[in-house]
Amino acid sequence: MSAASSRTGRSLLLLAPLLVFLVGFFVWPLFSMMSQAVSDPAVLRLLPRSAEVLRDWDRASPPTIPMQAALMEDLRAVDDDQALGDMVRRLNSARSGFRTLMGKTTSALADTDNPPADLVSIDKRWEKPEFWLAIADALSPYTDRNLLAALDLGRNAAGSIEHLPPDQSVNRVILVRTFWIAALVTFACACIGYPYAIIAASLSGWKRDLMLGAVLLPLWTSLLVRTAAWFILLQEQGLINDLLRGIGLIDAPLALIFNRTGVIIAMTHVLLPFMVLPIYSVLITIPKNLMPAAASLGAHPLRAFLRVLLPLSLRGVASGSLLVFISAIGYYITPALIGGPGDQMISSIIAFYATGSANWGMAGALGVVLLVATLLLYSVYARLSSDEPGRR
Amino acid sequence: MPMKIAKATFATLTILFLVAPLIAILPLAFTSSVILTYPIPSWSLRWFEELFFADAWRRAIVNSLIIGTGTTLLATVLGTAASLGLRNRLILFRGTVRTLFLLPMVVPAVVLGVGMQVLLARFGLTNSYLGVIIAHTVVAVPFVVVSVTGALAGIDERVELAAQSLGASPPTVFRRITLPLAMPGVLSGAVLAFATSLDEVVLTLFVAGPNQRTLARQMFSSIRENISPAIAAAAFLFIVATVAIGLVVVLSRSMLAKSR
Amino acid sequence: MAEFIRFDRITKFYGPLCVVENLDLSIDKGEFVSLLGPSGSGKTTLLMMLAGFEQPTSGNILLDGTAINAVPTHRRDMGVVFQSYALFPHMSVGDNIAFPLQMRGIAKAEIGARVKRALDMVQLSALVDRRPSQLSGGQQQRVALARALVFEPRVVLMDEPLGALDKQLREQMQLDIRDLHRRLGLTIVFVTHDQSEALTMSDRVAVFNKGKIEQIGTPRQVYDEPATRFVAEFIGETNLVEGVVEAVQGAEATVRLASGAQIVSAVSGTVASGQPVFLSIRPERVDLSETRGDARNVLETEVTDSVYQGDHLRVQLQNATHPLIAKLGRRSREFPPGTRVFAAFSAGDCRVIAP
Repeated sequence: MSAASSRTGRSLLLLAPLLVFLVGFFVWPLFSMMSQAVSDPAVLRLLPRSAEVLRDWDRASPPTIPMQAALMEDLRAVDDDQALGDMVRRLNSARSGFRTLMGKTTSALADTDNPPADLVSIDKRWEKPEFWLAIADALSPYTDRNLLAALDLGRNAAGSIEHLPPDQSVNRVILVRTFWIAALVTFACACIGYPYAIIAASLSGWKRDLMLGAVLLPLWTSLLVRTAAWFILLQEQGLINDLLRGIGLIDAPLALIFNRTGVIIAMTHVLLPFMVLPIYSVLITIPKNLMPAAASLGAHPLRAFLRVLLPLSLRGVASGSLLVFISAIGYYITPALIGGPGDQMISSIIAFYATGSANWGMAGALGVVLLVATLLLYSVYARLSSDEPGRR
Repeated sequence: MPMKIAKATFATLTILFLVAPLIAILPLAFTSSVILTYPIPSWSLRWFEELFFADAWRRAIVNSLIIGTGTTLLATVLGTAASLGLRNRLILFRGTVRTLFLLPMVVPAVVLGVGMQVLLARFGLTNSYLGVIIAHTVVAVPFVVVSVTGALAGIDERVELAAQSLGASPPTVFRRITLPLAMPGVLSGAVLAFATSLDEVVLTLFVAGPNQRTLARQMFSSIRENISPAIAAAAFLFIVATVAIGLVVVLSRSMLAKSR
Repeated sequence: MAEFIRFDRITKFYGPLCVVENLDLSIDKGEFVSLLGPSGSGKTTLLMMLAGFEQPTSGNILLDGTAINAVPTHRRDMGVVFQSYALFPHMSVGDNIAFPLQMRGIAKAEIGARVKRALDMVQLSALVDRRPSQLSGGQQQRVALARALVFEPRVVLMDEPLGALDKQLREQMQLDIRDLHRRLGLTIVFVTHDQSEALTMSDRVAVFNKGKIEQIGTPRQVYDEPATRFVAEFIGETNLVEGVVEAVQGAEATVRLASGAQIVSAVSGTVASGQPVFLSIRPERVDLSETRGDARNVLETEVTDSVYQGDHLRVQLQNATHPLIAKLGRRSREFPPGTRVFAAFSAGDCRVIAP
């Protein structure tokens, strides 16, 4: 008894370091990204007193004296111009007019010679509940703005969800594009990879080793190297164009780079092993005598394939396709290097929001979308690959 | 007959598709011209010189070695220990834990990068080797776990029981039976960890400062901004390094096997 | 002979499943005891507990008078031979056998000598530098045996070691192990599900069923004097006939069968008049003849089938109410199906078993 529990204790001790490490440096960053997607402290940070007072407001009656006093105090206390700018931008995007209103209010409050009695005296707009409503809504530390914007949705003045205007609706286009490119790549990989795996599984000896080696070699080489190789080959004066012109197939060089074609070619090359290997590993579990048995029973080779080999290998094709698709939607390097501006995938946009414009909210929101899609597809893949052949 | 020819043609074309790009890029490392085209006017080693003497490239190589080694050590230790712990069937949520260990392979690197950048900033680890090593370890450790778990699964549990019955205490069993039998997996895992670190661009984009630019990062910028045959030379180095390490592992494995 | 190993009220639960139930067993020094039973009967679990690989849920295991429950495996000094051999794949045959000696800190020169002696004992001296993967199943088994014996353990445990070998090799190894036992005077606990193996090799056989020992005795005892129906059916082949006790006279009882016939039989244990019982009659003890004769017990039967099995003739008979099987020697007559014959056997050839 104690031997077993000390063994368990030892095992837990061995597991612990990696577990702690991953929880701290893998799970936590993901959570932090997800929380960024929904966090919105721009207004709350600067208006703590107003937050307290506004809690009791009924959102319909005109602003009270305590409300105005709290807001004035908060605004006077602001000393960080950038934070103020963020807040104003935030409020303005919820209700236009805030920029001018705030500008007028802050300069009036800064005027020490002539301190205003209350906000309404600075500007009549403070009388109306609408502006206060905007502030009250923006005070929540959580928001779904980013998540909605990630799908090109937003809330209108009444608070219900609607589509954003076309000039702000770029995310959905990019999401669709990402999935479309991934689908094309998956399809290409399946068309090339499935027959390749079938041929490899049917051979033996050096021929099979050669075919497998050709698949494993790219896997062993760095992704960057492979992408760089395609970058060089697909150029206008690159090897491929030179070859095609040399054998007379074309006259003028083909545009193969910085466009969709190049991206598909390069990504197919990179992801092909992920399609071939799962299919191959399923194929070799199929007894070699099945096809000859089908033939002896009178089946034409094509029918034998359709009714025997295809159903049995479908699991491998599904696994491979999922694997390729999941990898493709998350790809960054290959589209970034080989694609044109119209081929940027969702990962580029995330990177842009994060490192380019420091909009962590949007970066996080799009990241959440990508993460959820990836995890959903992966759970399907995991279930597929854990269904062993004998268990029907 | 035509079926056979069709199959052979298809197989050959696909093999070419898979392998040709890698082979095509290698000779360009030795071109003397400044543009990356064939035919190669004359052979020269100038691009390798640039790699080893130009500041940016040289530092990138050094950084890659430092970070790669650090990642390999950290990932191999963490991953091997965890794989050994995972063998115990009595652990609660064993399957969930194992899935967690493998998840970094699945999650897109950009997503992880966004989260890590903020986290490392909070710990003050941006612009440091340690930060990059940690980030690389997160994505490298699943490979170690898969490799070592595979090797451990191939060990017949009875062999360890037999060793105990013959008088070996648990630490001795680990030292003389379990570890030697798992070593091929540990070595493969270590090589994969190194290769992963060497190749990792996206995470590095987010967490590395200008002083920790790795070779991969440098190559990436170079392709985007300033394309030159130095890239082909760097690619050549990459391939040579990976092949060399792979050979070292294969040779050491067969040497270990023979010496017993 | 002194008691050497003792299992005292051993119980083992795996979760809610009881695998060994309140088991008592005593083994003398130098004895060869087989633990015999079907899969899942608890025999292997008992062996694992003796080796220290498993812990009993309750009860004590005593070795030479001392309880060893808390002693870890690597200090129990028992040689274990597994069904799957469990040789170290990354070491040569010689290194495998040297391993337990290294664990005991024996000097290198001495190790070399003892490894050589061990290999001579199993006749594999030429293979000292080979790897296990280069050996046949039988050779691997002999290496495993040599490894378990080289450090002269107090007890040798064997868990179905011959199960993976083919018939002829198995029978040869049975004799080899028996021979080693005699020569070295080892205490051996041997697990098997093959009853003929147990009968061939053991001093005593413990018959296991569902976590309990149904009977323990010499091979002759468990074969000729089965105590329970399970033992009678598990060991060898038997005819089981139902009946009711009419009278008991000392070591014999008169049993009335459903057909009305009366059988006089030897009795194991005590039975009372009126008790429903089984009669166990070994097929090879039945004589067939066309005349009634004057045996104590005679049943009228008809031959339904007769199969020549090389070393004996197997005859299927049908009595008024139940089928019977008889095994006749090769010199006996063949009775064609349909012949009416008398099946005769003495009282000692028959056994009354309480159900």
